[in-house]
Amino acid sequence: MSEKEEKPKKKSRREFLQDIGIVGVGTLIGGSAIFAGINYDKRKKQGERIKVLTAENELLEIEKSDTTKVTKSPLKNLTYLQKEGRDGLKGHRWVMVIDLSKCRNARKCMAACNDAHHLRPEQHHINTLKMQDAKDTPAYYMPKPCMHCDNPPCVAVCPVDATFKRADGIVLIDNERCIGCRFCVAACPYSARVFNWAEPLHSHEDENLTYDVELNVPQRKGTISKCLFSADRLREGKLPYCVSACPNGVFYFGDENEDAVTNGTTKETVRFKKLLEDNGGYTLMPELGTLPRVYYLPPKGKEYPFQDKDKKEAGERLES
Amino acid sequence: MYTRNLRIVTFAIVSMFFLHSFAENNWNVPADKKARNSTIKFDATTSKVGESVYTKNCVSCHGDPTKGNSLKSLSPVPPDLASAKTQELTDGELFYILNTGRVIMPSFNNVLSEEDRWKIISYIRSFNKDYVQQLSISDTNKSQLVKVDMAFDKKSNQITVTVKANEKTGVVSLKDDEIVLFANRYFGRLQIGESQRTTADGVAVFDFPKDLPGDKDGNVKLVVKVNDDTYGEISRLKTMKIGVPTDIPSMTADRTIWNVLFKPIWIIVLYTFGVMVFGCVLLYLLYSLNRLRKAGNI
Amino acid sequence: MATKSNTDKITSDLLRPIRLNKSFVIWMGFLGVSLVICLGAYGLQLKNGMVVTGLGDYVSWGMYISSFVFFVATSLIGMLISAVLGLSGQKWASPLARIAEIIALAFASVAGIVIILDMGRPERLLNVIIHGQIQSPILWDVTVVTVYMIISALFLYIPLIPDLKICSEKLKNLPPFARNIYKVLSLNWNNTPEQNKIIKQTTRTIAIFIIPVALAIHTVTSWLFANTSRAGWDSTIFGPYFVTGAFVAGTAAVIIAMYFFRKNYKLQDYITDNHFDMIGKLLVLVSLVYLYFNLNEYMVPFYKMKESEAILIRDLFAVNHAVLFWSVQILGLVLPIILLLFKKMRKPLPMLVIGIMVLLGAWFKRMIIVVPTQEHPYLPIQNVPLNFKIYTPTLVETLITIAPFILVLIIITLLAKVIPIIPVHETIEQLEDAPISPKGDLK
Repeated sequence: MSEKEEKPKKKSRREFLQDIGIVGVGTLIGGSAIFAGINYDKRKKQGERIKVLTAENELLEIEKSDTTKVTKSPLKNLTYLQKEGRDGLKGHRWVMVIDLSKCRNARKCMAACNDAHHLRPEQHHINTLKMQDAKDTPAYYMPKPCMHCDNPPCVAVCPVDATFKRADGIVLIDNERCIGCRFCVAACPYSARVFNWAEPLHSHEDENLTYDVELNVPQRKGTISKCLFSADRLREGKLPYCVSACPNGVFYFGDENEDAVTNGTTKETVRFKKLLEDNGGYTLMPELGTLPRVYYLPPKGKEYPFQDKDKKEAGERLES
Repeated sequence: MYTRNLRIVTFAIVSMFFLHSFAENNWNVPADKKARNSTIKFDATTSKVGESVYTKNCVSCHGDPTKGNSLKSLSPVPPDLASAKTQELTDGELFYILNTGRVIMPSFNNVLSEEDRWKIISYIRSFNKDYVQQLSISDTNKSQLVKVDMAFDKKSNQITVTVKANEKTGVVSLKDDEIVLFANRYFGRLQIGESQRTTADGVAVFDFPKDLPGDKDGNVKLVVKVNDDTYGEISRLKTMKIGVPTDIPSMTADRTIWNVLFKPIWIIVLYTFGVMVFGCVLLYLLYSLNRLRKAGNI
Repeated sequence: MATKSNTDKITSDLLRPIRLNKSFVIWMGFLGVSLVICLGAYGLQLKNGMVVTGLGDYVSWGMYISSFVFFVATSLIGMLISAVLGLSGQKWASPLARIAEIIALAFASVAGIVIILDMGRPERLLNVIIHGQIQSPILWDVTVVTVYMIISALFLYIPLIPDLKICSEKLKNLPPFARNIYKVLSLNWNNTPEQNKIIKQTTRTIAIFIIPVALAIHTVTSWLFANTSRAGWDSTIFGPYFVTGAFVAGTAAVIIAMYFFRKNYKLQDYITDNHFDMIGKLLVLVSLVYLYFNLNEYMVPFYKMKESEAILIRDLFAVNHAVLFWSVQILGLVLPIILLLFKKMRKPLPMLVIGIMVLLGAWFKRMIIVVPTQEHPYLPIQNVPLNFKIYTPTLVETLITIAPFILVLIIITLLAKVIPIIPVHETIEQLEDAPISPKGDLK
């Protein structure tokens, strides 16, 4: 298969539908009908090829037999997005591996995340912590997203099913349902959840947006928000915002079912279990039985020195 | 720490004096690679695609071209790719840098397709008004003559890749070519074993891992990449039923304390029992009150 | 033997407070105005979001939830005095039963409102019913608090039926509609032997049933905390710890109410020094049990000093919360126990002071349970503003917290204005059964 043919794979079905919805039939070059839903499971014989132009001005050439005709484009209304968000991506189990030996506190992950989810600067879906475990152990930086636990205490205590765990392992929030009781905040041992105490940052600009469960945008005053493993990006086959923003190769993200994780910086794909085995991977606070889906590689042989100015903060808990 | 600083300082001084030669010498681009040209023509469309690939793979370090917002905390500092220093490099040099990487710059050879890599360069060149593209004179259709065969041997658990070209003069085996084998995963391509060089028969043999998960039938999508000087970079995809069949049930299938669809039985029983007891007591009390009212009639 | 004059005296004594008077109007006016001010503060919270409070992403439960726990706790006293003491034949407590029930009903019904104050999205309250998840302790809490409210209301109402009849007959200057309400509510009460039998039976059934329900409401409330794996909350004794604490708070509340009713309603003949003496002893008893649970709750982690708990214990014993912690434990628990051992202290006025001390201590104790744990999560608190690290309540938040207290006072005042707070029928009956003087002295 040529590279040209491989291209449309990077566009997901959903994005494709949107593109076509926006661009309209008239801009389809050489196409007399709307084509979408590229099915790559089946290898097709060389056949008739068509060109389609996407909203991003991307001219794609695809095999006609690789497409299915869309008779009805699903309406992207709130109900649809809520259902889609609750169903999740079947057949996957997302995992994240964070290599602490590479983190140098660049905080690009935090910035990209806050930007994508329209968060205030003090709201952290992902927070880079300065850590020190014991007096004489070295200090290190630790990015801490939501652990997306397989036994999530936050989900168990939610009285209205506003936070839920999906088939693919992601713990999401429906802020159209959240009553703002903050029991989940109390229950989370990783302090992963944030609350919209005030009117959210972009609430005015976001007024007309349809709420997307997988992006948690627009944020709503008086409801909970937290890391979503960028569920919207995963649907498009892209790595999460934080993962692709990291300049230091800290994050790996992938599918446990495929036993593969991809580094966000180098885009190198490696075996998930082997990565953990070779580097002594571990999870945070396993004794709590939360079964996190975020794994850490120890800060062994750090490539960057821990900054002196951060030492005090890292050791705060030990001194108290 | 000290040596690193020293190195940076030296870098800075040297680069100030020998800016031009530094850029060249530092990467040590071989002469043949330096002269290499793109096989695709750069235009608005390729640059647009290049931009989206750039945003996914490069922007986290290099920042947005012309904005000068590359990540200064890295050493060496990644250059703004719209800068004169970068634009002075030939297309071949840029392509080489993108392929090999260096120190903290990763190699994109096995991550991005050749076409995507050229499109990134197309995007970078779109910031240079004076740039005039020199197209590669090589015949782009030549790669279509190449035939790549993949066969799996169950006993030895090996994949045999045979690369041949159907020239007019007859079938030619491509020998001593670099072959890389990948398995497609959701976010990228997982390299299988080390890259191999083809034998005189155009054959390369890869050990395939026994524990690599496939889909629920065990299908794995394999990509084989051939680097040949004459025919260019060739990629072929083939789905083979050689993986471990993986059909793990959804995470919400079991009864758990957090599962909203399947609640634990004990909790349903306890809660229902509690509410029913209260209901009964309440009914009894209301019944008693009614009796009380009736008993007042003398 | 009850003479007619005795019965008449009791009836007129106990029904006397049921009338509009100037002090009632002034008191209600004061409460009403205060409530409006507090509601104004709540309006501010609705408009601007909960940013008007001192809460943050780490300490996300503060005064509201502490108050909620306090309200649920105090409401438990109805069960202790009316049910436990009633069933175990402690006759001295029967005149206090109605006061305890009024307190229970008022605090239990307002507890639900306190929870609403804490919600970020109060308009979505119905989601709890529409999308209710029975795994969540909140749903258990909503269920049992509702059940307890209904049962408490019935527990107040059923023994009241004969008194309502008396009210409708004996009260003078009653507008006709009010007389009709009394009449309808008295359910055709004619004091027949069968009716007396039914009412005794029913009261007994409720008294028995209310005990597990009351235990459940506070145990479930404690599980809101104990069912999380947070240092300081992750405790298996939280259920009984909360329940015994509740008895302390409730008893103190009853003491305070007794004092004011006795004084304002001139009920010295019915709420006697002896009652104060007895309830003083009760307070010592429940406080000692609570002290025992406190010892367990703090001594055991203090001995082990597991890292996460050690940070919390140090904070409580010696750092940020030390002053509050030791004040609550000493002034609100240890000192009252010691003082109440002396008979001189078990007189109305000293008891009032001790009661207020204990009740205040009980409220702050809930803060000590709720807040410090959240200030010390397992992972360090970093990259957030300082007010996220240390919880400082704001003025608006304080005003909103006061609102439910005003509401409780309003409910108690209103109830005590329309029903006799000492059971009339029962007092007369007791007089007939055992020839004790209306002064209520026990022989």
